[in-house]
Amino acid sequence: MRDAQQTLEQYFLEMRWRCLSLAADLDRIERSPGGPGVLSTDPRLAKLRQAINVLLEGKGPNRAEQVQTIFSDKTPPPEGATKRRSDEATKG
Amino acid sequence: MRYIDPHIHCVSRTTDDYLYMSRCGVVAVSEPAFWAGFDRSTASSFADYFRHLTDVEPKRAAKYGIDHYCWLCINAKEAENVSLSRDVIKLIPPLLDHPRVLGVGEIGLNKNTRNEITVFEEQVEIAARYDQLILIHTPHLEDKHKGTSIITSILKNDKRIKPERVLIDHCEEHTIRAARDNGFWAGLTIYPVTKVTPQRGADILEQFGPQMICVNSASDWGESGPSNLTDTCLEYLRRGHAEQEATEIFHNNPCRFFGQNPKWKVKPVG
Repeated sequence: MRDAQQTLEQYFLEMRWRCLSLAADLDRIERSPGGPGVLSTDPRLAKLRQAINVLLEGKGPNRAEQVQTIFSDKTPPPEGATKRRSDEATKG
Repeated sequence: MRYIDPHIHCVSRTTDDYLYMSRCGVVAVSEPAFWAGFDRSTASSFADYFRHLTDVEPKRAAKYGIDHYCWLCINAKEAENVSLSRDVIKLIPPLLDHPRVLGVGEIGLNKNTRNEITVFEEQVEIAARYDQLILIHTPHLEDKHKGTSIITSILKNDKRIKPERVLIDHCEEHTIRAARDNGFWAGLTIYPVTKVTPQRGADILEQFGPQMICVNSASDWGESGPSNLTDTCLEYLRRGHAEQEATEIFHNNPCRFFGQNPKWKVKPVG
């Protein structure tokens, strides 16, 4: 397996490219009509900031999983969603 | 290298894709029933679709030396229409003995609604009653974690379902444990933008180990393609893994899961 330095060598340009791409995305939104308002109020961008914070300050090695969790719906399932099958299955 | 794409929607792909797969060493594919990009109006549309999956596509694939198998179901997105779903479900049992049908799939959830759950449970019932393998579709993006949790709870609570006969597909970093820790197979879908990249796919294989994982392209009518599967293998090899390790993942693991159905003829290679 490659060591950390070799891994960084292999991926750094892609990492730099992804960071620049995100910066340009935010600039594009800001330049558009209503941009500053959307940047400061849209809940998706708030989650994006939260995710970026994981990259800046979070600890690994499960940063990807932490980011996935930020973007996940955390509301409860529909009522009784898993109960009926359980009741039926225990009969047999 | 020999590959198997365990999840690809060939009906919406061009013959160029078959040619590409053949040139790359894809020897077999499995094609779950899915959403066509629009909601179908009658069960007869599904009857034709099932004929396409069982009879037409295997012949098309065979021209390129690819063994084609399929799965039948009504997909989660159209399952919101419970009445239509029940008409479609009635079509499935008589087709389960077809030599190209591996089981019931891809069933699951899309937006995690009550109707979707009802239709999912009714299709799990069909699979249990006819002792079929199950291929599970988990929701996308923000709905994935919750949907995967609901699905695995339903399956775990049904004592007739053997986890090793179920593949939970479209797993990602935050859902793969729910599949594997409960004894299910896990699928990784390498698909632009909405799912896993080749690099993250290789990361997951390294972090969680390659056992009971099948990697697929889920190529369909969206921006996707069979090269995502081969790119992931290349990424894995580029990190210094041996070709035999890659063969275990990209060929032998699908053989092991699908091989639980005697209709599947491709054997693991050493």
